[in-house]
Amino acid sequence: MNLVVLYLLLVKATLTSFSGLASLPMVRNDFVVRRHVLTDRQLNTAVAAGRIGPGPLGIYVVSVGFLVDGAPGAAAGWLAMITPAFLIIPMLRFLGARAEHRRARAIARAVLFAGAGLMASAAVPLARDAITNPLSLGIFAVSFLLIAGARVDSLWVMLGAALVGVAAFQF
Amino acid sequence: MAHPRLIDVTRLFARVGVTVFGGGDPTIAILQREFYRRSWLSPEKFAIAFGLARLTPGTNVLAFCAASGWYILGIAGALAAVLAITIPASVLVVWLTSAYDLTAHNRLALSIANALLAAAVGTMIGAALLLVRTQCKPGRWLRPVAISLGAFLLAYAARLTPLQVIGVATVVGFFWVEQ
Repeated sequence: MNLVVLYLLLVKATLTSFSGLASLPMVRNDFVVRRHVLTDRQLNTAVAAGRIGPGPLGIYVVSVGFLVDGAPGAAAGWLAMITPAFLIIPMLRFLGARAEHRRARAIARAVLFAGAGLMASAAVPLARDAITNPLSLGIFAVSFLLIAGARVDSLWVMLGAALVGVAAFQF
Repeated sequence: MAHPRLIDVTRLFARVGVTVFGGGDPTIAILQREFYRRSWLSPEKFAIAFGLARLTPGTNVLAFCAASGWYILGIAGALAAVLAITIPASVLVVWLTSAYDLTAHNRLALSIANALLAAAVGTMIGAALLLVRTQCKPGRWLRPVAISLGAFLLAYAARLTPLQVIGVATVVGFFWVEQ
């Protein structure tokens, strides 16, 4: 498949969705149903690879690009994934001049507090998947305490968790 | 606010990009916590970046990275943030795709991924609590607590989408201005 077409199809899917996996139906329609350049099994592999690795869920489009056209395809997928992100800059420029207004600051702070509530609510379904035994409960509790109560760099929290994962496998 | 160097910004986003599992929400939680720890971004600018990222098409967390990078170091910061958070993770996802049948059933890899996911959940809730706690001043705690708790209930119990919750928060913020 032509790389430009690959990029345009993927960017169409990312531009018309508002979260990581919301582009999946359009990607499936274009690549599996209409053009037959991917199978459903390959698309599932792309989604699964995106889910087991770090980073945003939308990273699966890089995997889709790779499965369609190797490394150049992965680069096209990566470009399609990051392109919409920069649309936020004109919006920030527009808001910048108005952000110091008292009422605008009050709205920003309300959105900030809502963000905390949203983070907590997004953690609940993740917690159901992640906390399945006493060990994962312990990792959760220690991470929570270190992040909320101490000024520990989050890198050490993640590295510590990874080491516990290795130790759990060994024993 | 501190003025970090481009290399420091790049390093932070690259590090978060390869160490945080569970998608965009844990990533934003970790970044918020690191911005706060380093005094790189004010709570107001974080809120604008967070809110507008939900309105931007595509992967929300990448729009958030572009916005926070732009606030910290302008266009160079936005580019560094988006490239640093996506390139190492993309290389990793390509490797995972090509080795999927091996890695998906590897018990060591699964054990590490499960531990990292549990840590990501603890981090998210910890960062949310920290965010509210740092904004609560003596005699001025009702607004942060009420809005964050209300947002949690709207998202979790009433099943409103994040965009709808932010819309409600915007209306509340417009009418409920602290003196």
